[in-house]
Amino acid sequence: MDLYNQFCVAAETSGAVLVDCKGPVEAVAYIVKHSDGGVLVPSSESFKRVDLADQLQKAGATLLEVNRSQAAEAASGVTSACFAIADTGTLVLESTPEDVRLASTLPTRHFVLLDRSKIVADGLAAVDSLRRMHQRDTRNYIAYITGPSRTADIERVLTIGVHGPKQLHILLLNDWSSDLLEM
Amino acid sequence: MKERSKAYQKRIDKALATPKLQQALHQFGDAYLVSREKAFAGLDFEALRREIGVMKDDVRNNHARYMQQFIDNAQAAGATIYQADTAEDANRYIAELAVKQGVKLTVKSKSMASEETHLNKALEAANIKPLETDLGEWILQLSGQRPSHMVMPAIHMFKEEIADLFSKETGQQEPADIAHLVEIARQQLRQGYLDADMGISGANLAIAETGGIALVTNEGNARLATTLPKTHVALIGIDKLVPTLEDAAKVIRVLPKNATGQALTSYVTWIRGAVPCEGGEKDLHIVLLDNGRSRLAADENCCETSRCIRCGACANVCPVYQSVGGHVFGHIYIGAVGIILTAFFHGLDNAAEIVKACIGCRSCVAVCPADIDLERIILSLRETIADKEGIGGGKSLVFRKVMRNRKLFHGLLRAASVLQKPVTRGERTIRHLPLFFSPLTEWRTLPAIADKPLRDIWPKQQLNAPAKKVALFGGCANDFLYPELGTDLIEVMNHLNVEVDYPLEQNCCGVPALYSGDKETAIELAKQNINAMLKGNPEAVLTTCPTCTMALQRDFIECLKDDPSWKAKAEKLAEITVDAAGYIVNQLEAADQFENLPLPQKVTYHDSCHLKRGAGVWREPRQLIETSGHELVEMDHADRCCGFGGSYSLTSHPEIAKQILGDKLQDIEKTGADCVAMDCPGCMMQLRGGLEKNESKVQVAHTIELLAAGLRAEKAASD
Ligand code: SF4
Ligand code: SF4
Repeated sequence: MDLYNQFCVAAETSGAVLVDCKGPVEAVAYIVKHSDGGVLVPSSESFKRVDLADQLQKAGATLLEVNRSQAAEAASGVTSACFAIADTGTLVLESTPEDVRLASTLPTRHFVLLDRSKIVADGLAAVDSLRRMHQRDTRNYIAYITGPSRTADIERVLTIGVHGPKQLHILLLNDWSSDLLEM
Repeated sequence: MKERSKAYQKRIDKALATPKLQQALHQFGDAYLVSREKAFAGLDFEALRREIGVMKDDVRNNHARYMQQFIDNAQAAGATIYQADTAEDANRYIAELAVKQGVKLTVKSKSMASEETHLNKALEAANIKPLETDLGEWILQLSGQRPSHMVMPAIHMFKEEIADLFSKETGQQEPADIAHLVEIARQQLRQGYLDADMGISGANLAIAETGGIALVTNEGNARLATTLPKTHVALIGIDKLVPTLEDAAKVIRVLPKNATGQALTSYVTWIRGAVPCEGGEKDLHIVLLDNGRSRLAADENCCETSRCIRCGACANVCPVYQSVGGHVFGHIYIGAVGIILTAFFHGLDNAAEIVKACIGCRSCVAVCPADIDLERIILSLRETIADKEGIGGGKSLVFRKVMRNRKLFHGLLRAASVLQKPVTRGERTIRHLPLFFSPLTEWRTLPAIADKPLRDIWPKQQLNAPAKKVALFGGCANDFLYPELGTDLIEVMNHLNVEVDYPLEQNCCGVPALYSGDKETAIELAKQNINAMLKGNPEAVLTTCPTCTMALQRDFIECLKDDPSWKAKAEKLAEITVDAAGYIVNQLEAADQFENLPLPQKVTYHDSCHLKRGAGVWREPRQLIETSGHELVEMDHADRCCGFGGSYSLTSHPEIAKQILGDKLQDIEKTGADCVAMDCPGCMMQLRGGLEKNESKVQVAHTIELLAAGLRAEKAASD
């Protein structure tokens, strides 16, 4: 199996929803359809290139300002993954900017855009990019996200959505971003 | 009995009287093994764990250097570092920091280190409210309990109790529906993150290369607790240090797989330095906790434990843990590693009872991802504690005065064989014992001491030109309880043209003394046995008891390691010692000599702990059983301990042993086999005893006995 397919299988096993998108327009439509309330869209390089926030708004999403009080009320957060890890179905998010963390921790739904070409084999193969992030910035908050928030703390029964997002939607795109360090 | 022992006994009784708990832990144990195997599919677990072992040993040997690197890098990234020698020291630092910052509420994500230091108590004493946000930890906080598992802290609780606790929080009756209860936790704790001025977390890793930490979590609370409050305190044991990001990735690769069978947790969070926070920057304090870890790392016998990555697996698979849970088999840290950590973090006194509760089955060793020989270390701790506290007057007298003197010991056993007559009424098993001995035979019969020990009936063998000359190390059970096992071995070996000698100066292997903490007696017995067994210069020393095998292969060397000339002899003996089945299959390559013997039966096989996980032998006896024509049916949990453990089941923990035996008997009966085979006289004693008491039809046999019976039947048919 190639890395892309391996990633898809693992991500689905972890409980993520995979969405094939032809381009940003389709991704925007999907998010608007499933956002279920106020949306947080922290800025990132890839978002800026296509002015994603503006597209979302025009398509009918209710954009919220990314701050604590608004984040606490938001239903959805939209971010972009730097890259993904195939064997575990994991997304890597450069979360040092606080906005990214607010959008990916507090809302019930988390939408992540991922370029299909940015997938590495496993946790060890991810170290190279992880190290470069540490070399680029002096302070870091980097998140590996695999599926929605979960717990098995009551009678060992797997239950989805404790404190973090209950849903993780991965929107798969081509020609979205090629730099493994770029959000 | 000491107050401490009484309280401990009470906890055992209470746990054993909670069948729901055992059921939950057994179910978890079973499901765990299945998902763990799946998670590691395609990976070489042995190679992975060796790698982690080597890496963590490097950290231990160069701790100061890596620690300085971590501290320098963390400080350069804006973190404040505090090195706490003790639990009190760490608590004081954190409480004072909170007071200084005017903190009223802290949100905590799961941290075993803070359980270890009792941080919550210290915060409450300073009028600061610690709010646990990990679901399991929150449940425990509401119920005023401590964790009973390192990864699943509230595994001992049931949804009904949790619904009652949550109802008190919400002020209305909440249904005992798990999804609903999880939702309540989400709602109730949410505001806490936003209100709190300080987030407190642990960490799974501290990475020297970056000065960052990594958190491996599922719920998402750690991400909230490290993001929203303006201060983040990370309390980290100094043994969490790893050199590089690759090393961290290697630990993360095995940690969730081995903890719960999950490929990876929902979140792995890498945090370095004072990251942005509400327009400013986070006030990050990293508290590096020693509290006994340096002593552990410097301890000659126990230092390997510093490799531990706290996956909790050693408890998951432990039959004692599955029987009594972590509130009995642990202090703050639980299970095999809990015994050791307790001794170093919370004092020998707190470890003194639980160190004896390990039955020595080595299940923990087989699953430890850091390649720690937990069973050996627990044994050495038992010695340390026995040196301090003594091992009980009667026992120590028997070991010192009787067992070390072979003639006296064997003389007493012979005398006992005569004295037991009124009880056995001439039968081979003791079904009831009078008076205060009666609990010993309440749930299993015991074997009677044989009229004539093996040494007295050892026959002269008539082989013309034996291909090999070997010696048998019988051990007490083979010699005095089951002499026919020895004569069966002769039959089997003679069939292969191998002559077997029985050196008469051999004595008890010393394991009972060693496991009770009497190393001196063990050393004396090791020397006696080495001399006895090497004397005739045999090509191999065969064993029929895997506990003896481990004594000859491992413990003698360990006992004599400080004396070079004795150590060399011990190594020589270890080299030529081999269990009978392994000898036939691997060294003689003669399994085919037993092809299709008469009297085929339906046989299930029980793996003895020390044979499978000590000597690594489990395929060989199965091959012999199948080759000789029997139908082999596997039982569930074939390699789970039978609960014998020598004096464990006789005197120290009979109630737990009985529980473990009960599980085994169920698995045996379920197969519908005519016979359960094994390669250990101790297991035979336990299983025969239990099956007889249950009036079961299932026979118990040593693999060697099965082979001998087949050979005899073949001979009878051809005569
Ligand atoms: S050796 Fe067996 S009984 Fe002892 S701690 Fe390990 S698993 Fe438990
Ligand atoms: S001792 Fe081994 S099995 Fe036990 S918690 Fe530590 S790493 Fe895991």
